[in-house]
Amino acid sequence: MSEQKIPTINFKEKALELLPEGASFEACLTCGLCSSGCPASGIENMDPRKFIRMAMLGMDEELSNTPWVWCCTQCKRCQHVCPMSIDISQLVFLARSNWPQEMKPTGIVRSCQLIRSTDSTSAMGLPPEDFVFVVEDVLEEVRETQPAFKNLQAPMDKKGAHFFVNQNSREPMNEPDEMVPLWKIFNLVGADWTYASKGWAAENFCMFSGDEAAWYEVIKKRVDAVNELGCTVWLNTECGHSYYTMWNAINRFGMEADFKLESLITYYALWIREGKLQVNSRWNTNNIKFTVQDPCMIVRKAYGESIAEDMRFVVKCLVGEDNFIDMQPNRSANYCCGGGGGFLQAGMTEHRRTYGKRKFDQIAATGAAYVLTPCHNCHSQMEDIGHHYGGNYGVVHFWTLICLSLGILGENERTYLGPDLLTLIDG
Amino acid sequence: MKVEARHFETELAIIGSGIAGFAASIFAVNRKISSAQVGNTGAVAYTTGYLDLLGAAEDSQAALDNPWDGLRQLQKSYPDHPLSRISTEDIRKGFEQFTAFLGECGIAYTAPEETNITALTPAGTLKKTLCVPATMAAGPKAFTTKTPCVIVDFKGLKGFSAKQVVANLQDKWPDLSAARITFPDMDKGEIYPEVMARAIEVPKTRIQLAKRLQQAAGTAKVVGLPAVLGMHAPDMVREELEQLTGLQLFEIPTMPPSVPGIRLREMFEQVFPQKGITLIPQQKVTSLSFHDDGGLLRLSDNYGPITIEAQAVILATGRFLSGGLEAHINGITECLLDLPVSQPTSRNHWYQDTYTDRKGHAIHKAGIETDTSFRPLDQNGQPYNERLFAAGIILAHQDWIRGRSGAGIAIATAYKAVEAAERSLHAFSR
Repeated sequence: MSEQKIPTINFKEKALELLPEGASFEACLTCGLCSSGCPASGIENMDPRKFIRMAMLGMDEELSNTPWVWCCTQCKRCQHVCPMSIDISQLVFLARSNWPQEMKPTGIVRSCQLIRSTDSTSAMGLPPEDFVFVVEDVLEEVRETQPAFKNLQAPMDKKGAHFFVNQNSREPMNEPDEMVPLWKIFNLVGADWTYASKGWAAENFCMFSGDEAAWYEVIKKRVDAVNELGCTVWLNTECGHSYYTMWNAINRFGMEADFKLESLITYYALWIREGKLQVNSRWNTNNIKFTVQDPCMIVRKAYGESIAEDMRFVVKCLVGEDNFIDMQPNRSANYCCGGGGGFLQAGMTEHRRTYGKRKFDQIAATGAAYVLTPCHNCHSQMEDIGHHYGGNYGVVHFWTLICLSLGILGENERTYLGPDLLTLIDG
Repeated sequence: MKVEARHFETELAIIGSGIAGFAASIFAVNRKISSAQVGNTGAVAYTTGYLDLLGAAEDSQAALDNPWDGLRQLQKSYPDHPLSRISTEDIRKGFEQFTAFLGECGIAYTAPEETNITALTPAGTLKKTLCVPATMAAGPKAFTTKTPCVIVDFKGLKGFSAKQVVANLQDKWPDLSAARITFPDMDKGEIYPEVMARAIEVPKTRIQLAKRLQQAAGTAKVVGLPAVLGMHAPDMVREELEQLTGLQLFEIPTMPPSVPGIRLREMFEQVFPQKGITLIPQQKVTSLSFHDDGGLLRLSDNYGPITIEAQAVILATGRFLSGGLEAHINGITECLLDLPVSQPTSRNHWYQDTYTDRKGHAIHKAGIETDTSFRPLDQNGQPYNERLFAAGIILAHQDWIRGRSGAGIAIATAYKAVEAAERSLHAFSR
C-alpha cells in the first residue's frame, strides 16, 4: 500500500483569495460564539474558533491533516452567529478538497462516484431505466389497489411541464411506496409536473467530497435535463442538500439555467393557502405533539426565514396550532442535526452521534412525539440518534402527514407512523 | 437562473441589531408603527444581561447608588451627553417599556427602581446596574443580606471560577463558599454555557443537576451559579430547579460567549416576526439613500438581493465593533452615509499614554452629532435628512463603558428616536 500524504495548504493565503474584498479572518475577535454554538466543537479536539486561530497562526500542517473537517457539516451556523460574519466553512471545503481521494471517507467518495456513474445522478447508482420501471410499477399497483386513485398520474419526461420534480434515491431504491403520497398531492392540486429519466435524483455528495469538478459535472447534468424538458420550475422535494448544491453551483459556476429553483415546502404552503390542499388538524383528536426540524441547507444556507415560516404554517395546519412545539433554537439559528455534509455516509458513527446529541436534546426538550422534516439526511440522523440516546419520538415526512390529514394515506405508506398515529387512522 | 428580488415596504426601518436596534423595534411596536429591522449579529450576544442606566460618575468614576441623581449631575457637567438630552421621565418610560416587553416574551426582568442594584460580575467584583434578569435577582439580595451562600462552578467550564468569585467577595460576604460539580453528561473536555443552558431545558438533565446542586449546597439555602439556567425558558427552568432542590438559585453572568445575550437575541428573533416586524437579523445594509418619500435600503442575504422602502429610518449601527464607525489612518468615518463624525483633532489624541488612564480615551467619545430630535447632522450642522434618526452607541459625547451606561444610552435614545420618527411620519402623511 502506498504511503499517501495530505499536502499542506497555506490556509492564510488561501483565505485571502476566498474572501470578498474587505473581509478578513483577522477580524476574528476570538469571542468563541462560533465554538459555543457548534455541535462539532470538541470532536477531534477541534472547534471553529481553534480552526481560525490555527489558520492565522500558520499551523497549516495540523489543519491540513485534521479529520475534523469531515465532522464539520459545513452548516454555516458559526458564520450565522459570528459578529464579524466569518465564513469558516469555506476553509473546511478547501481542506476537504485537499485530501487525496484515497484518504477521504470512502462512503462519501463512493456516493459521488455512483452519482456520476449513470445519467440519473443517483447516489445509489439507480440507472434511468430502473427508475422509470419502479415509478411505472408502483403507479400501476396504486391504480389497481386504491380505487380512489385509479387515474393517478406520475408523468415521466413530459416536455414543457411546469414542475420538474426531483426524488431522493432512497424512495425508488428502498421504499418506493413513499413516493405515492407525493403523487397524490400533485394529483389533488392539479399540478402540471413531471419526473425525468435523466438528472432526477435528489442527492449530491460530490460537493461534500470536496470535488469541485465532480460537483459541477453532476449539476450540469441536472441543469441540462431541466432545460431539455423546458420546465419552468425545478421543484426540490423533501431534501435539503440537493437544493443547496444545485442553487449554489448554478451561481458559483455561472451556469445557464432557464428556470426557477423552488422548494416543495413553498408550494405546500401556497396550495393550503389557496384552498387546493384542504388539510386540517381535526384528525389529531389525541393532541399528539409535533416539532419541526429546519434543514440548514434550505433555511440558514438558502431561503432564510421565509421558508421557515412556510414550514411552520404547514405544520400548524396539519397538527393544530396548540400541538406544534418549536425546537429551540430554530429557523436560521437551528442546529444542524449532524447528518449533513456527508457525515451520515462518512463512517464516523461515534463522532456523528456525539454531534447529534445537541439535536437530541433539542427534540427531547420539546417533548414532542414526532419531528417533521423535509430533508432525508435530517430524517435518517434524527431517527438514529433517537434510537441511540433512548428517545421515543418518530420522524415523519411532510407528504405522509398531509395525506394522513386528507384521509388518503394508503396502507403501504405508513412506515414512519407510530402506534399512536396508526390508531387514529384505523380507529 | 430566474430569481425574484424581494422588496419590503414599511413605515420605519431600523438599521442595527444591538440593544438600541431591538429597543427601537419594541418602541415602534408599542406605538403601532410598522417596522423592518436589519443588521448583522450585533454585540448583543456579549451582554451580561444587566441593563445599566448609569453606574459610574463621569468625572470621578465613583460608583453611583442613585442613577437618577447621577443623571442630574451629568446634565450639569456634560450637557452634550446623549442621556443629558433626555428627560428622566422619558428614560424611565423607555426602561419600563423595554423590560415589560422582555417579561411578556418570556425573559422576566426587574423593573427600574429609584436606586441602582449592586450586582455581581463573573470575576466576583461588584457593579451598579438598574435592571437585572429575574434569574439573577436573588444574587444581589443575598449579597446585601449576607445570607450564607455557595457559589458553584462546573468542571470543564472556562471563564467562570467559583473560587475566584468567593476570593473577591469574601471580605464583604463571610458566609460565602465555593464548590465545583460536574454537569450531567458533560464530564469530558471544554464545555460551554450555551450548551449547558440548552441541555438544562431537557427535564431529565434538570433532575440530575438538581441532585448535584443539593450536594454542593450542603447546609446553605442559597446557591449562585454561572448563567446557564436555560436558554428559551429561563424563568421556568429556575423555578423548577428551585422546586427540585429546595434551594434559592441565582445566576451570575459569565464571560462571553454568554447565555443572557444569546437568550435575548434568540427571543427577539422569534418574537419580532410574530409581532409583525420584518426582521433580517444577519445581514448588513450595504447602501442607504433618500428620496422625497423616504429611504431605500439595499442589502443581500444568502438568497439574493433585498430592498426595503421606508418612510423613516433609524440608524443604530453602533460604533467600531458593530461597524457603525470605522477608524482609518486619517480619522474616523461613519460607514453608511459618511456622516460627519465628532472626533479628536488628530490620531495622536485618540488615546492617553496609559491604557488604564482614569480619564479614559478620547476616541471612546467619537460619534455622530444629532439635533434635539435625534436627527444626524450634516457638514453644515443641519439634519442630514428629515426622515433620518439615530440611536445608541453611534452617538457622540459618551463613553458608555466608563459610565456603565450602555443599555441606558441604547434604550433611552431609541425611545426618543422612535418618538421623533413617529412625529415625522405624522407630519409627512398630512
